[in-house]
Amino acid sequence: MNTRLIAAAAILLSLGVGASAHRLDQYLQATMISVEKDRVQVVLRLIPGVVVSSAVLASIDSNGDGVISESERWAYAERVLDDVSITLDGNRLTLRLVSVEFPATEEMKQGLGEIQIGFTANLPAGGTNRRLVFENHHQNRIAAYLVNCLVPRDRDIRVIAQNRNEQQSLYQLDYVQAGSGADSASLKGWSTIRGWMGAAGFASIFRLGMRHIAEGTDHLLFLLALLLPAPLLAVGSRWIGFAGARRSLLQIVRVVTAFTIGHSITLAIAALGLVRVPSRPIEVLIAVSILVSAAHAVRPLFPGREAVIAAFFGLIHGLAFATTLGELGLDRWQRVASILGFNLGIETTQLMVIAATMPSLVLLSRTRAYPGLRIGGALFAGCASVGWIVERLLNVHSSVDVIVDGVAHCAVWTAAVMFLISLACGSLPNIRYKQPTATRHPVKAVVGGPNTSFPTIYSKAIIHCERTGRSETTRPTRAICCKLLLDKPTSARYTSLRILGDRES
Amino acid sequence: MNVFSMRTMSGVCALAAIWLAATAAAAQTATSRIVREANSFLSTLDEKQRQSVLFAFDDEKQRARWSNLPVSFVSRTGISLKELNAAQRSAALALVSSALSPRGFEKVEQIMEGDEVTKTNEGNNPIFGKDLYYISILGQPSEKDPWMLQFGGHHLALNITIAGERGVLTPTLTGAQPALYTSNGKTVRPLGKESDKALALLNAFDENERKQAILSYHLADLVLGPGQDGKIIQPEGLKASAMNERQRAMLLDLISEWADIIHESAAAARMAELKADINETWFAWSGPTTATSGKNITAYYRIQGPHLVIEYAPQTLGGDPSMHVHTMYRDPTNDYGRRFTAK
Repeated sequence: MNTRLIAAAAILLSLGVGASAHRLDQYLQATMISVEKDRVQVVLRLIPGVVVSSAVLASIDSNGDGVISESERWAYAERVLDDVSITLDGNRLTLRLVSVEFPATEEMKQGLGEIQIGFTANLPAGGTNRRLVFENHHQNRIAAYLVNCLVPRDRDIRVIAQNRNEQQSLYQLDYVQAGSGADSASLKGWSTIRGWMGAAGFASIFRLGMRHIAEGTDHLLFLLALLLPAPLLAVGSRWIGFAGARRSLLQIVRVVTAFTIGHSITLAIAALGLVRVPSRPIEVLIAVSILVSAAHAVRPLFPGREAVIAAFFGLIHGLAFATTLGELGLDRWQRVASILGFNLGIETTQLMVIAATMPSLVLLSRTRAYPGLRIGGALFAGCASVGWIVERLLNVHSSVDVIVDGVAHCAVWTAAVMFLISLACGSLPNIRYKQPTATRHPVKAVVGGPNTSFPTIYSKAIIHCERTGRSETTRPTRAICCKLLLDKPTSARYTSLRILGDRES
Repeated sequence: MNVFSMRTMSGVCALAAIWLAATAAAAQTATSRIVREANSFLSTLDEKQRQSVLFAFDDEKQRARWSNLPVSFVSRTGISLKELNAAQRSAALALVSSALSPRGFEKVEQIMEGDEVTKTNEGNNPIFGKDLYYISILGQPSEKDPWMLQFGGHHLALNITIAGERGVLTPTLTGAQPALYTSNGKTVRPLGKESDKALALLNAFDENERKQAILSYHLADLVLGPGQDGKIIQPEGLKASAMNERQRAMLLDLISEWADIIHESAAAARMAELKADINETWFAWSGPTTATSGKNITAYYRIQGPHLVIEYAPQTLGGDPSMHVHTMYRDPTNDYGRRFTAK
């Protein structure tokens, strides 16, 4: 560093240039990419700063005669081309040099003027969703890279996303290429719409939806927190044991469906521009929704009404999804098609996550380890949500995202490990709950009043009303049935009762 | 008629004369004012000087001969203030001033003064200084036919196209180094508002909006600097259609720091155009999201719309990037007023 500075100072003094002139010790390399239907054109502008220009010049002037000859120019351009690469959908393209322009050598010595290298590559025919990756590592040590793409002149080509690394040495361009190019002018509009409705935009929007929810950990955290107690029965203000495989499954399906319906409605409304909601309150409400479902996982707040809550907060989450679609700057028609694709993408990821986690949850919920997992998970979601609420309300930065993303990063491993643990726990009898027994009695079976007798006396039983989702625990069972009937002798709300619990031996 | 009524009559006549004169002055359009100043500047020059100031209107080389660099690096043509005597110089500055708003001309003066400060700081380095600014005219100053006025040097390139009543300032480059200096005991930041208003806008965003506005990569310099005329890059960042009314107003106010450099009637037309585009306008930020109070930001930002590119690019050399900035103001669809001058 020091030697470089001294060298810089020496060169500056010798040129009589002030230190405040311009870029000194970097080799600015600005790339402009232009994508067409069957080829990509690239212009690379190379501007060595005054401190590095002599080194750059020396590398160009290979015979050292102080003159940059025509052949040395082209040879240098070829070397630059060796240091860059373009791939399309993973296939490396062959680059062809088109033009090489050099400023006067004197100008370059002073760190002025720019070398311009133009090159092109044919784009092989392929799908409608394309990913072009440009990489430049020419003179990486001293380089300052810039890379951009021009808005495609061809209206059938639409840029979906641009991603770069911090240094801009790596650039990834996702675009959609609709239409075959044979359409007449009058059909062009239709073909674009067809292109979007067809496989074209659809798959990439679908992927965008998948990515959005995978990266939008807050949406998944809400759903997972809400599903934590799904295999359990609520009695009074407590979660107690396993509610049965069938009921757990039904509960999961109900919650997920309700969430989907909720967010689909608002996603469609907002993405079509029918309503516009400021994003900040929405983001805060999303964080609140996680807090609510985390609290519910600790203590039942709305047992039996999880689906309603999921649908309600789904409405809010949908508004946030819409902003992502809005960022694409699509017109209204394209949006209609994209909503569908985007939503399907979200659903797919959602279902994948649920498929990966729920079996373990259901298995673990039969064990004594489950309360720990449930409370731990709820606390994690709760802490994250409080962090997000504070962050989004006060507009401050916290490390919530870093932590949650860190956890999400190893999600696959966590899910796998959890599944193995759940299998192990399930097979170890000493940490398993005693096998619960469930008996279903239609109400009319107990209508007989205090004298109704059950075939067995249970040491502890829960009376659960399927309709209201309410449960009560009691012992012995006969008494509560009597009590229930005495309390509400004419209640029509109880259609069936389920008695669960440990059979008294 | 008595004396009293005579006095009243003459008073009324005098008032009417003043009113007429005032109306006449107001009726005189910006273009006619600029043409008059241009002609009076040209009339102060001798034949040889006039030769070096005047270019053909379609001289593409001269049009594009501007830069952010000091004049010794990229030589400007036209005539520098240094080569003019006091009367010629004030006529030249009067011409530049007539084409700009008072606020725009003040900005230009501060940029030039900044170069004078640099000159002093660098031991009277002859490559800097407020007299090393060049003026040139492309075409004949006219109220009907299009012509151009160029004024620039280190960190400044004004390209003003006059086409009838229309005035176009794109492309124009402003820059400042030092971006903060003291002149006559007063602290001056030539591009201070460009920095402060942008930071205020960024701070008006919520978490989600910031996430969209802030780019994940480093931008070392202008993307569409000198020589990059007419290029439309894929926009990035946060789209103003996703902003609220207040944020959009802040964005327009930030844009006005460039759009309002030109004289008022041209600026009003330009702002109306940019306001109509606002929902299609993007704001992108790269770099530190805070700044030392009273200093410029050290982050890059870009505003891009269908008829607009603004770039603000701090320069890392010379140590403190808050002290050195280049900015670019473009309309890629209307470089040098082509939209209005095309035949």
